[in-house]
Amino acid sequence: MAAVDGDPRNTPVPGRAGGFSDWLPGAAGRRRDLVDTFVRVFESWGYGLVATPLVEPLDTIAAGVGAARQSQLFRFMDADGVLLSLVGERTVSVARVVATQLQRAQFPLRLCYAGPVLRNAALLDGRRRESMQAGCELIGHAGLAADAECIALAATALERGGVRGVQIDVGHADFIPSVLESAGLDAAAQRAVLGALGRRDLVAVEVALEHTDMRDAERRLLLAFPTLRGGREILDTAAIGLGGERPRRAIEQLMELWELLELHGVTSAVHLDLGAVRDWDYYTGPTFEVFSLDSGFPLGSGGRYDSLLERFGFPSRATGFVLHVDRCNDVLTRRDGSAAAQPALRVAWDGGQYDVALSIAERLRARGVAAVCDLDAAGAHPDAETAVHVHPDGVHWSSHGTGGRGSADSAVDALTGSAE
Amino acid sequence: MTGLRIALPAGTLFDGACDLLRSAGVARIDAGRFDRSLRVEDSGSALIKVRPSDVPVYVEMGAADCGIVGKDVLWESVRVCYELVDLRFGACRLVLAAPEASPLARGDWNGALRVATKYPEAARRFFAGMAITVELIRLNGAVELAPAAGLADAVLDITATGETLRANHLVEVAEAGTSTARLIANLAALKTRSDAVNALAATLRRAADAVPGAEGAA
Repeated sequence: MAAVDGDPRNTPVPGRAGGFSDWLPGAAGRRRDLVDTFVRVFESWGYGLVATPLVEPLDTIAAGVGAARQSQLFRFMDADGVLLSLVGERTVSVARVVATQLQRAQFPLRLCYAGPVLRNAALLDGRRRESMQAGCELIGHAGLAADAECIALAATALERGGVRGVQIDVGHADFIPSVLESAGLDAAAQRAVLGALGRRDLVAVEVALEHTDMRDAERRLLLAFPTLRGGREILDTAAIGLGGERPRRAIEQLMELWELLELHGVTSAVHLDLGAVRDWDYYTGPTFEVFSLDSGFPLGSGGRYDSLLERFGFPSRATGFVLHVDRCNDVLTRRDGSAAAQPALRVAWDGGQYDVALSIAERLRARGVAAVCDLDAAGAHPDAETAVHVHPDGVHWSSHGTGGRGSADSAVDALTGSAE
Repeated sequence: MTGLRIALPAGTLFDGACDLLRSAGVARIDAGRFDRSLRVEDSGSALIKVRPSDVPVYVEMGAADCGIVGKDVLWESVRVCYELVDLRFGACRLVLAAPEASPLARGDWNGALRVATKYPEAARRFFAGMAITVELIRLNGAVELAPAAGLADAVLDITATGETLRANHLVEVAEAGTSTARLIANLAALKTRSDAVNALAATLRRAADAVPGAEGAA
């Protein structure tokens, strides 16, 4: 370890940009495996993989999302003076692709993606600036079956990726705004309460509600905000005493969604959360977030965003979700420890047997066993970490405590047989 | 028996936080329990004592499920947490104060103002929209010395009794905010440990309301 003030005689260590991570053998492999697993599950549900650029024009991002989501973007200018941004999420990119290149596709259209996203967050705050996201978009279907499919697919992908015991909180983006409206709050008071909720400042919500005229039923409901969670039964409780068509419609949609989730067999992991705080300008219907006891941050989130594609001139209903691969990876690391790199079998040789060793290594690889062939002749005696040693008089092998001696064929058979 | 990890703020709010947790029956702790270790377990809760400005850090990152911290710390924090309950103790006010003989103290706000503060974020919000030019000077302590030393025209600082201001010949010009202790919670903890977190919030709310004179203690 170098001292803080360094030693001028030493070669300076090349820096790594703050907030970015290197992934070493083992950890990088598990991260890749997680992405691969998620994408394979998405594809098995008929979601076609699309790849979009790491960079989008700032105008495109600005058209797609509100100002709040544009802060914390890495922005720069290209040689033509066009303002560009590194993507902070990929739903807008997928929406752009659909609105400009896939208008004539068969709808409903199912697409998935996986790739890094970047956030120009303050340094030293412990949060990543680059993270891996994998997600799905289901475009051109207005029904709740589409929302249920996305929730079930997110649950399945996490399960296959080994991220077990997650909790999925399902809410409705219109519920709280509609309760505020039907309670008769004026526009300024509605904005004040939604703003306080958006900042997750429930003390300010209380203060804002104190200064408004509203019926006790709605006031109690809003003050009980963090406790409006549970199973199907909370929908009946919430419906009691609620005036207004709009809040009731949100509750009815959640009732229907719950029944669909039962058909998918995922309700054991699902909580209904009427107090879910989400981006009310972006989401238009059911929303969900995925939590784990082993993470302080959501592992994934999603919901219906029926107005996004319209902003790109292609009005279409849509729902989707994103999984935060690195947070999932954090959960796995917390439970199972760091991932160790899987060592390759080592093929050693002596007495001019390099050609035989190369052919054994190649045959092992062809059968799916990672093999590395020594570049230099070994001594006459095989050492402990050698799986195969090719002598002029025959081949020795050992693996998982068993060993043998014979031809190259028998060595390959023995080593791949034990691996299968 | 909460089963929660709770971050407590060292400093002026620490005794009040311990008193509240004890009177609410959450944990039988007092300041002395933290003499040897900054982490204490009691009645099923794990309590950690950290710098006030670090409480939201522990809570946002999920290293603590909940925390007790002054609203003044939350003004400056970029951390995302739920702010659940006004715990009512530790009341203080954020005030703009100027030297007794200054034009500002006589109500003359004209011209550009140099303001020393430990609360730049709260200051930015306070001065936003006012038709004056304000240059903020961020200090880390002893802000009330800045005008006498010629560093600033005024200070934006926390006061509980006003004694420090008086001792430094500063008078209050305007109130920029009020602060009390708050219960905050991690985003995921409110969802994954919701029964425990909501029970803690309800218990502490009752205990805070039961403290005589808690209303309007400012």
